Amino acid sequence: MAKENEKSVKPDKGKGKAADIPEKKDGDASKTTQEKGGNGAGGGRKGEPQEEELSEEDQQLKSELEMLVERLKEPNTELYKPALEAIKTFIRTSTSSMTAVPKPLKFLRPHYKSLTELYEQWPEGENKVAMADVLSVLGMTYADENRLDSLKYRLLAPMEDPGSWGHEYVRHLALEIGAEFTSRQEKEEDTQDLTDLTMSLIPFFLKHNAEADAVDLLLELEIIDKLPPFLDENTYQRVGLYMISMVPLLSPPDDKTTLETAHSIYRKYNKLAQAITLAIRLNDIDLIKEDLDAAEDPVLKKQLAFLVARQQISLDTSDQDINEALNNTRLSEHFAALGKELNILDPKTPEDIYKSHLENSRGPPGSVDSAKQNLANSFVNSFVNAGFGTDKLMLVEDESNSWVYKNKDLGMLSATASIGMLHQWNVGGLDVIDKYMYQEEENIKAGAALAIGILSCGVRTELDPAMALLCDDGYLENKSVPIRVSAIMGLGLAYAGSQRAEFLEQLLPIIGDSSITLQVSAMAALSLGLIFVGSSNGDISSAIIQTLMERAEGDEPSLKDKWGRFLALGLALLFVGRQDDADVTLETLKAIEHPIAKHGGVLVDACAYAGTGNVLKYQSMLHLCNEHIDTSEDEKKGEDLFQSYAVLGLALIAMGEDIGAEMALRQFGHLMHYGDGIIRKTVPLAMGLLSASNPQIKVYDTLSRYSHDNDIDVAISAIFAMGLVGAGTNNARLAQLLRQLASYYHRDHNSLFMVRIAQGLLHMGKGTLSLNPFHNDRSVLSRVATAGLLTVLVSLIDAKSFILESSHYLLYFLVTAMHPRFLITLDENLQPLPVNVRVGQAVDVVGQAGRPKTITGWQTQNTPVLLAYGERAELEDDEYISLSNNLEGLVILKKVGNNPPYRIFTSD
Amino acid sequence: MGNAQSGIGGPPAGDGEKGKDQKKEKPKYEPPPPTTRVGRRKRRTAAGPDAASKLPTVYPNARCKLKLLRMERIKDHLLLEEEFVQNQERLRGSKGEKGGLEQRQEEERSRVDDMRGSPMGVGNLEEMIDDDHAIVSSATGPEYYVSIMSFVDKDLLEPGCSVLLHHKSVSIVGVLTEDSDPLISVMKLDKAPTESYADIGGLEQQIQEVREAVELPLLHPELYEEMGIKPPKGVILYGSPGTGKTLLAKAVANQTSATFLRIVGSELIQKYLGDGPRLCRQIFQVAAEHAPSIVFIDEIDAIGTKRYESTSGGEREVQRTMLELLNQLDGFDDRGDVKVIMATNKIETLDPALIRPGRIDRKILFENPDQNTKRKIFTLHTSKMSLSSDVELEEFINQKDDLSGADIKAICTEAGLLALRERRMRVQMADFRTARERVLKTKSEGEPEGLYL
Repeated sequence: MAKENEKSVKPDKGKGKAADIPEKKDGDASKTTQEKGGNGAGGGRKGEPQEEELSEEDQQLKSELEMLVERLKEPNTELYKPALEAIKTFIRTSTSSMTAVPKPLKFLRPHYKSLTELYEQWPEGENKVAMADVLSVLGMTYADENRLDSLKYRLLAPMEDPGSWGHEYVRHLALEIGAEFTSRQEKEEDTQDLTDLTMSLIPFFLKHNAEADAVDLLLELEIIDKLPPFLDENTYQRVGLYMISMVPLLSPPDDKTTLETAHSIYRKYNKLAQAITLAIRLNDIDLIKEDLDAAEDPVLKKQLAFLVARQQISLDTSDQDINEALNNTRLSEHFAALGKELNILDPKTPEDIYKSHLENSRGPPGSVDSAKQNLANSFVNSFVNAGFGTDKLMLVEDESNSWVYKNKDLGMLSATASIGMLHQWNVGGLDVIDKYMYQEEENIKAGAALAIGILSCGVRTELDPAMALLCDDGYLENKSVPIRVSAIMGLGLAYAGSQRAEFLEQLLPIIGDSSITLQVSAMAALSLGLIFVGSSNGDISSAIIQTLMERAEGDEPSLKDKWGRFLALGLALLFVGRQDDADVTLETLKAIEHPIAKHGGVLVDACAYAGTGNVLKYQSMLHLCNEHIDTSEDEKKGEDLFQSYAVLGLALIAMGEDIGAEMALRQFGHLMHYGDGIIRKTVPLAMGLLSASNPQIKVYDTLSRYSHDNDIDVAISAIFAMGLVGAGTNNARLAQLLRQLASYYHRDHNSLFMVRIAQGLLHMGKGTLSLNPFHNDRSVLSRVATAGLLTVLVSLIDAKSFILESSHYLLYFLVTAMHPRFLITLDENLQPLPVNVRVGQAVDVVGQAGRPKTITGWQTQNTPVLLAYGERAELEDDEYISLSNNLEGLVILKKVGNNPPYRIFTSD
Repeated sequence: MGNAQSGIGGPPAGDGEKGKDQKKEKPKYEPPPPTTRVGRRKRRTAAGPDAASKLPTVYPNARCKLKLLRMERIKDHLLLEEEFVQNQERLRGSKGEKGGLEQRQEEERSRVDDMRGSPMGVGNLEEMIDDDHAIVSSATGPEYYVSIMSFVDKDLLEPGCSVLLHHKSVSIVGVLTEDSDPLISVMKLDKAPTESYADIGGLEQQIQEVREAVELPLLHPELYEEMGIKPPKGVILYGSPGTGKTLLAKAVANQTSATFLRIVGSELIQKYLGDGPRLCRQIFQVAAEHAPSIVFIDEIDAIGTKRYESTSGGEREVQRTMLELLNQLDGFDDRGDVKVIMATNKIETLDPALIRPGRIDRKILFENPDQNTKRKIFTLHTSKMSLSSDVELEEFINQKDDLSGADIKAICTEAGLLALRERRMRVQMADFRTARERVLKTKSEGEPEGLYL
């Protein structure tokens, strides 16, 4: 109904809402006789044809106004001023109902035309200005959309405060300003007067609870950066919130300006936690440093450091304590405390997860492929017990019957590497890995290298053990491909997002070295991509492009190798979230005449706009999916890979913004319907990426349908996606669906392996971890997490050549995205401080009047607590105040003293 | 179960796999036990793959750019979807695979029709066994355990509904969608009454209040949101007889594009126990399904009287009906965009719970007209009459009679009748005077002073 008529309502506002109501619902021809009847409640019948029916006071008002108008038409200039004043008073004092036009305006309407003519004849002077003032108000009722009379006369009467004419008028004026600005801009005329007028309207809006209007108007005139001076203590919160929620919907460069303005607003009011979050979103290291340095209170500084650390940005300060927070040093400790509190320290075996006694498998399983089973067990074990440091498989005392030796070949690599995940974030766990480092067996040695990388992912120490151990020539320059690759991967994982220049010299030569196998080069590129994720580092990008060119020219077949795609992925990761910074690279890639360049280009483009919700990019990705490529010939094999990337790109682009994400899910349905095999098998993965660790029924129901698809590739993707969607949630329904799948596929090794992995993911960290790349109230995209997820998904596009074959260790790239979904409250000395918090579903409160509740359906719990996707916590009482605006991750609380009873962070 | 589910076959043996896979014999797979969720309940919860096709809801409701941007984002995506689908359809068409979309749909439809066969029997769904089996009964007697064809929309199936049965295999091939009680469809107003606001003399205040409480929340919900208040749920119109309560409701019905349901309180009193409350529930269910809607309950005092200790079963049933009404007005379920207008002339007899704020937020009093209003009403009613020139209505207006709107109308009609009796073509002042006397006389006689003594 009227809701949709947003635009048409606005212009008509001046005429009074009643005037437009009857038109809209006038479907019935029989009603036309009463068209006038709808014109305002009581006023309807007093329309022009039946003027005699006016009530006495109306009649009086009307005649008085007419008299005043007459007086204006007379030559006696003396009387003009009082007459105009009288008219003004009439207009201002009239109270109108919600449904009708104010009476004075209605009675003056017939005279509007003559008054405008009169105005033209008058000489310049005070009276003329006052007349313009009145005409401006009248223009609101009279002008049709193209005339913008209100504005015209308002500009001719510059002196008065437009706010005194009431809210309705100011809104109307704002509308006309917007329209006028656009038309003038097209004609490239000066708009200074409009800007000045706008500036006089803004304080009125802000004072009258219409901050949305203020922001809208400024955005319309592209001067949003002028907003901060107008704000005050009461309004900045709402304005900031409104602006931030607008950002993903704006087209560049507006989005950046808006974010920057919001940042400066928060800085102005010393809300550093909010400011630094925005600085992180802007990906501006200098700004982050500036915010961090601005914090005078050391406790607050620590809180800010926690926020920075969550994004895995590496910064260094002179302060030991701050460094500790920045380096995530105690993450493992906190995680253990959470485990203890939730009573989940006991290790779980893979069988505890599978619950195969509940699977109604019929008959004996097919030919037992114990290697694959054991491999699955290694992964499940590592995912489930991740970070707890204990398990029942790998870390048992009994040396002789070690689990590692129950795997063969590269399976041993993955099994050994799982130790790293078991001891995740815990640098002390390096000792356990140590003994595997000196094994003869190259796969175990390689596994240990990878384990070190996994273990150190997301935490940093002064000593840099990972670097010391892995940069050793025994690893990085080892002749054995697995060891070398593992060491490179380990470095990439351990220093993901750190952007440390040391690695350039270590790894760049490996990329460029065309004498080694493509696998090593590609992994080096990928690792550098991870380390320098979202940095647009020119050296690396040119090195990778160089390699692509050389390899494309030289030995053509080598780029066709399945590992070639990681070269391109490494390049793409450099540009995560950099938007148009990637343009140069894209142009260069076009020069390379090899399909990999096209594929790479799509990846780079998708990564550059990851999490922005940019519709244009989304559209171009969709266009790529339009073609149907015939790959029946051998030569053309793999040339349609870019379509897979495009589908992943759809998810990457859409995931930043709720509406786009929901719409993308619809789009995926069409892709499944029309797409070729290559698209169909990627769609489930894209769905998984879009809602990682966010098990919505509609998503996993659809995935469950795809998991029975006739195309086994689609089914495998869908199964993994089910794991991804439920990762770390222990979702019971998903668990049941996966158990059904396990019995459904109990004879198909590959599918069964994937089901097991999905089960492991579902119970990741015994239900305490999350893979979702968004954090801080779903506002900040973690580039490191995105990179890790994307790597795994790219490898899963061709699951049969990677994960299901021998490169299953690529699954460990998920570790970059793994993060506990806890809320731990700390006191000022960073000791755990249990308090009561309310945890509930987050509510979008932007633009709502008053101070609405930010969560719904809450439960009161004692910290530490787990927060599911879309949940939010707030403190139960006012005893403490939180130093961060979002209760998420590690939060420092401060006791409220007696005298300042204000709350620093009101629920916004 | 054991029967293969249509649509989902077993997974094919991994065709790309070499080596290990080939050793196995082609496995016979069992489909996983499907989950059964049937009936309307499912449709309400936003679950299932169907929910995926819904459009996201857009907040905030206020008029702001944020909302506009979000709406536009949805529009952009829908356009992209359309573009993609059209392209794909064109590609398919150009390849000459199966002709255009329409043609294919037609083919599919005809295939379904073939499967359905003709004639189809009509049966009653007794019980759902699992996703594709059910027990049906037909009018002829026996109950059958039959399969449900895969193309039947299972969302529509619910126990008790009428289904179409194949004439030979008796499997379910379709559902006869049946609306709720036919009684209710009667209440739905198809033809708007002719009375509009212009036909109401005076009552400006009342009209404004009704519009604010009933029409505006349906048309401009954002106004209320901006203010941060919840719009009123309903209004009660009360006042002495003949003051225009029903007339106003008619005018609302005339003006609104919302679904207008009108019932009389006495309609809710039914012969059988439990029927009244059920009807009451159904009315509001229909209203919610057709939201935005307005429910008008005339003469609410028929069921809404104060509760008291009563021994008669009938009384208790009436009270139960009212309790149901109470629950519908402000119960546990959110009714959404359903507004209620009630009318009565005995507000003091109503149960306080019925008219408490939250159920009925506005009580609008209709008083007997004052002079001005009287004038308006007189002019309204006489405007279409042929009056002789000597008629001076001011005389009646200035008299201090206690006239209601209906009385005035009666006077006018009576005067007209009198003129007719004398075969005059114009109504004269004398007619009016006589008419007035008559009306006033019958009005006072209406009081139980001496009429039936």
